[in-house]
Amino acid sequence: MNDPLVPPEDDDLLAAEYVLGVLPLTERRAAAHRAEVDGAFAARVWAWEARFAPMQAETVEGRAPDLLPAIEARLFSVRTRRWRLWGAGAAVAASVALAVLMWPAPSVQARLEAGALVFEAQGDGRFLTVARMGPTAGSANDYQLWAIGADGVPRSLGLLRGDTLRLEAALEPGITLAVSLEPLGGSPGALPTGPVLAAAVLE
Amino acid sequence: MSDDPVAELLQRVASQDRAAFRALYHLTASKLVAVLMRILANRAEVEDALQEVFVRVWQRAGQFQPDRGGGQAWLNTVARHHALDRLRARPVGEVRRHDPDDDPLARIADPAAGVEAGLVAQGEARRIVDCLQTLDPARGSAVRGAYLQGLSYQDLATRHGLPLNTVRTWLRRGLQQLRECMER
Repeated sequence: MNDPLVPPEDDDLLAAEYVLGVLPLTERRAAAHRAEVDGAFAARVWAWEARFAPMQAETVEGRAPDLLPAIEARLFSVRTRRWRLWGAGAAVAASVALAVLMWPAPSVQARLEAGALVFEAQGDGRFLTVARMGPTAGSANDYQLWAIGADGVPRSLGLLRGDTLRLEAALEPGITLAVSLEPLGGSPGALPTGPVLAAAVLE
Repeated sequence: MSDDPVAELLQRVASQDRAAFRALYHLTASKLVAVLMRILANRAEVEDALQEVFVRVWQRAGQFQPDRGGGQAWLNTVARHHALDRLRARPVGEVRRHDPDDDPLARIADPAAGVEAGLVAQGEARRIVDCLQTLDPARGSAVRGAYLQGLSYQDLATRHGLPLNTVRTWLRRGLQQLRECMER
């Protein structure tokens, strides 16, 4: 994608191309930025959005997993927000990672609740212990534990079988723990496939 | 409830109403999954994207203006643009599959694939559908493929075996015709 494209001579067509989504990344970002700072251009973008929007009218609905607990944990936890602000720049993120390597992680805890089902997580900087209270996952399913850091990507910590799970994991405050219901043996992929039952931020 | 429950919920979300936010998720997530899936074509990435979309919806619900269109349309726009941002940021080479069996344009041309069938729309949607039909079929198909599945100029150039600039000029002419038709 090295050939430079034709210079846009018509703002209205540029707005259409932006809305349609055909532009390469650099031009796309420039157009998005312009729509935020240039009112006349933004109006053109909106006019095109309105022209195309009815094409979505009969989009057949898909099946959405319940990601609300994870979304709410990201939005409504004070610690998560602070963490996200903190980690805003890549350089900052890198130095945080370095700090994690250099200093032992502090003790952390979280309580993940889903009605009668409760998971208590406790970390001492080296080990994480998770205790389950309430119903088991049944004979066809497993509970799976995930850690979600500032990048928002869940990483599996393991299956929660029995009453307690103890694993070696130095987790920082601000990391979200989540439990999903998976088929027996856990998620076949790298990410949760079943419903997220509960999530909470480590404090 | 008004005749646009999604718009009503969005206005409550704009004033930080968490119950409205949860209701909005349950009401709209399955539609947004479909919008994201058509562009990203990857279940795991769609789930990631859906979370990001709802984080943005919470943060930007105040930007929703009911006089500019419906609540669902606004959400679709937020989701589409987020999916496109992800798609365009993918490394070149991973951008689109070139397996002829999985050519997005071929899928659009196939009425059984549902996209074309879904466009046999009524009412409001009729206008854009009618106007797309006034374009020559390749242009109409390119516009649909871009809007619904995220085809880029690069994808279209590869597909038609044409230089990027030629494809751009060609599609821009189609967009001009579309605008004229819709303003009639």
